[in-house]
Amino acid sequence: MRRAIHVSLVVALLLAFGLSAAAQDPADYQRPVDVAPTDEVIGEGYVTPEVQRPRSLAPWRQVLDMALLGGALLLAAWIVLKRRSRRLAFALTVVCLAYFGFYREGCICPIGSIQNVAVALADPNHAVPYFVIGIFMLPLLAALFFGRVFCGGVCALGAIQELVLLKPIQVPPRLDRALGSLKWLYLVAAVALAVLPAAGRDFIICRFDPFVGFFRFTGPVHMMLIGGAFLLLGLFVGRPYCRYLCPYGALLSLTSRLSWRGVSITPDRELDCGLCNKACPYGAIEEMRAVRTSCLACARCYESCPVHLSCRGADAEAAS
Amino acid sequence: MSRLTRREMLGHAARGAALVGMGGVTAYLTVKAHDTYAWEIDPNKCINSQLGALGVEICDACATDCVLPLSAVRAVNHYPECGRCYICPAYFEIKSAVGPDGLPSEKLCPRDAIERKAIGWIDPDDPANNFYEYVIDESLCNGCGRCVMACKEPAGLGSIRLEVRHDVCLDCNRCSISTACPEDAYERREPAA
Amino acid sequence: MTQVAAPLEYRLAGTLGAGDFDHALRGLAMVSVMHVVAPTEPTPFNLLHAVGDSRVAVYGRERQVRSWPTSKDGYSVAVDDTVWVGEAGQIEIFDPLGRLIDTWRDDDLLGLVTAIGITRESVFVADAAARCIRHFDRERNLLNNIGDRHRKGGFDIPNGVVDFVLGRGRGRGSRWVVHVANPGMHRVERYTPDGELLGRFGRFDGVDPEGFPGCCNPTNVTLTSSGRVVVTEKAPPRVKIYDSEGQLLTVVAADEAFDPAAKNMDVATGFMDRIYVADTAGRQICVFERTEKQS
Ligand code: SF4
Ligand code: SF4
Ligand code: SF4
Ligand code: SF4
Ligand code: SF4
Repeated sequence: MRRAIHVSLVVALLLAFGLSAAAQDPADYQRPVDVAPTDEVIGEGYVTPEVQRPRSLAPWRQVLDMALLGGALLLAAWIVLKRRSRRLAFALTVVCLAYFGFYREGCICPIGSIQNVAVALADPNHAVPYFVIGIFMLPLLAALFFGRVFCGGVCALGAIQELVLLKPIQVPPRLDRALGSLKWLYLVAAVALAVLPAAGRDFIICRFDPFVGFFRFTGPVHMMLIGGAFLLLGLFVGRPYCRYLCPYGALLSLTSRLSWRGVSITPDRELDCGLCNKACPYGAIEEMRAVRTSCLACARCYESCPVHLSCRGADAEAAS
Repeated sequence: MSRLTRREMLGHAARGAALVGMGGVTAYLTVKAHDTYAWEIDPNKCINSQLGALGVEICDACATDCVLPLSAVRAVNHYPECGRCYICPAYFEIKSAVGPDGLPSEKLCPRDAIERKAIGWIDPDDPANNFYEYVIDESLCNGCGRCVMACKEPAGLGSIRLEVRHDVCLDCNRCSISTACPEDAYERREPAA
Repeated sequence: MTQVAAPLEYRLAGTLGAGDFDHALRGLAMVSVMHVVAPTEPTPFNLLHAVGDSRVAVYGRERQVRSWPTSKDGYSVAVDDTVWVGEAGQIEIFDPLGRLIDTWRDDDLLGLVTAIGITRESVFVADAAARCIRHFDRERNLLNNIGDRHRKGGFDIPNGVVDFVLGRGRGRGSRWVVHVANPGMHRVERYTPDGELLGRFGRFDGVDPEGFPGCCNPTNVTLTSSGRVVVTEKAPPRVKIYDSEGQLLTVVAADEAFDPAAKNMDVATGFMDRIYVADTAGRQICVFERTEKQS
């Protein structure tokens, strides 16, 4: 019954995607006269060359990106929730970093799309492409069902921090929570600046994107400095950008609060040795349970479990 | 079928509500959306090609503000609209001293990206009696806008305008030129055919 | 010459017709004294005729005296004892009070009429679409074209307008001389009515006012009663006077007088060598007068 409601909602969503848009005509350049000589006047068989005008990225490219994003989200959910495999999760992270980060140069990402969506919602003359709607909505949708699998397996910004994490230290929970509220401030500021009238509009999330400069191997100095600082900090503090600043993380924690499934450390029994608690570099385990709003679905905790196959998942089963 | 607990029921209801909310937002955005939108410059707004904006300073933000080392913006000569003038103010620095050949001695483009060649029927004695084609080398031009300003009505015919090259442009979410553009000429829209 | 010419200086005396034209002001004509026959009924003498906006407006010294509509947008006007308005594909002929006498339609020969010159024997019509000047007799038979021999495709007009003026050659019984602005080549050219090139002057120069700046100047040309050549330029707008040999005599007005976007500013001369310039972007007529009395 509920399933039916879910399905029909998803169908309605897809239908909405199909609605055609009111295309606005590209602005023509208005000039008072058109008196240029024609080919006949120029003579001698002169042929006016074509005005070069390369087309934009092929639409299939965007469809592919969206499909890959959706696929990666499902895959991440399967790996983390079903296979419970840290190794696979890590592999997926690396692949996604390579593709979405370095190959597609980190743009557009769901984090930055918050601002576009905000503008499109607030400004009647502004719209975002279907592609951007998809990029923005898919990870939130995934979080609603499976928790923050986007963060665990797909996000390139998360991945680059995941890779540099060398020796995590536990941040005192109080401080962790206090810093964590920064991302809400950042979200509010980003949305507020994005919905300003066009002249004063600013996309601070993108302006201060810490890692896009690395993905492109070039960028403004301040970007590189911020990115470098985050990576240095990230050697010891797990994913500092994700936990304290990422505004999309704030949104994800909203929908993942309602999530249907999520990382559960010992699904079928109580063990509570607490080892996993220490294994989580992100301070997401409280009272021996993963907190869905802050769990980044990295699957480290499974791996740390010394005893239970049900916890360690299929990898360990296969190995033993 | 096992009975749902109260907790599960609440959970489903909350998720359903969230879905409805997200669906609503998505539907609203989708109705407005367009799938091939890309960053484009409105030539009627860009100060370098905006009619009537005369004697104003040339804007070179398109050249300096792109995230790419060589901007994704190029000056494009719309050949069918070009007057093929003997003295093209976009090609020559028309305020420079006139040389012995009767032509200005300097070129306008700082990157020497424009080529000039006589076309059609060619008068062997009088170079003023020819038409000339002006082709912009896309590998050199960085969209600094000088030639655009010089070609603008009424000095030229306004055949040169700045355009975003979609095969080069990264389609940045926050196109850094769009935020630097003093005229708000950047917009995401359907590229011109 | 032994006699020292009075310095030729002009000042802006005023404007006419501000606010009269909503979209375009394109052509000007002042009847010249030699056309006037015995005035038994109102003649266009000493009245400035301006066209634009599908209208003809007639100005006296200070203000508009009458105005009437034309069927299409007017591009040029000429006055003898009737008023000829050049349009796209046709010329409309009105009596001095604005009653339509005749419409001369010819899509082939009157593509876009941007200047008209009338003599007792001939009608000269600048066709900007064909980029040449057509020489008709009074029965409207085409005698010859002017300008299409010297360059394939006619005059070089990236600005879209061919403008010319008729003047008398020197000596008694001499023929008419057609003075044409050839902007793309930065020259003023003189032709016989048969289309023979008599002479030309002008060169490009972006700095020295002696030369014509920009891509295509001068755009419009007229003569003073003493045969001096008045030209207007665009980008920036400027009005200059040359002697018939191409010696720069004076700059009447530089850009401050006009809307900087003005181009193809038609120009006419009147009594006391007054100069009328159509500020096509500001849509008003600027009147320039000589600063000192001629002795
Ligand atoms: S918190 Fe933000 S930056 Fe971190 S992985 Fe999630 S979406 Fe990416
Ligand atoms: S935009 Fe600048 S670099 Fe490009 S052709 Fe014009 S003047 Fe040269
Ligand atoms: S000024 Fe413009 S229209 Fe004229 S020749 Fe140069 S490029 Fe062409
Ligand atoms: S979207 Fe990015 S790459 Fe494209 S023009 Fe703007 S700044 Fe340059
Ligand atoms: S930044 Fe805007 S005004 Fe400046 S050159 Fe680019 S489009 Fe034109």
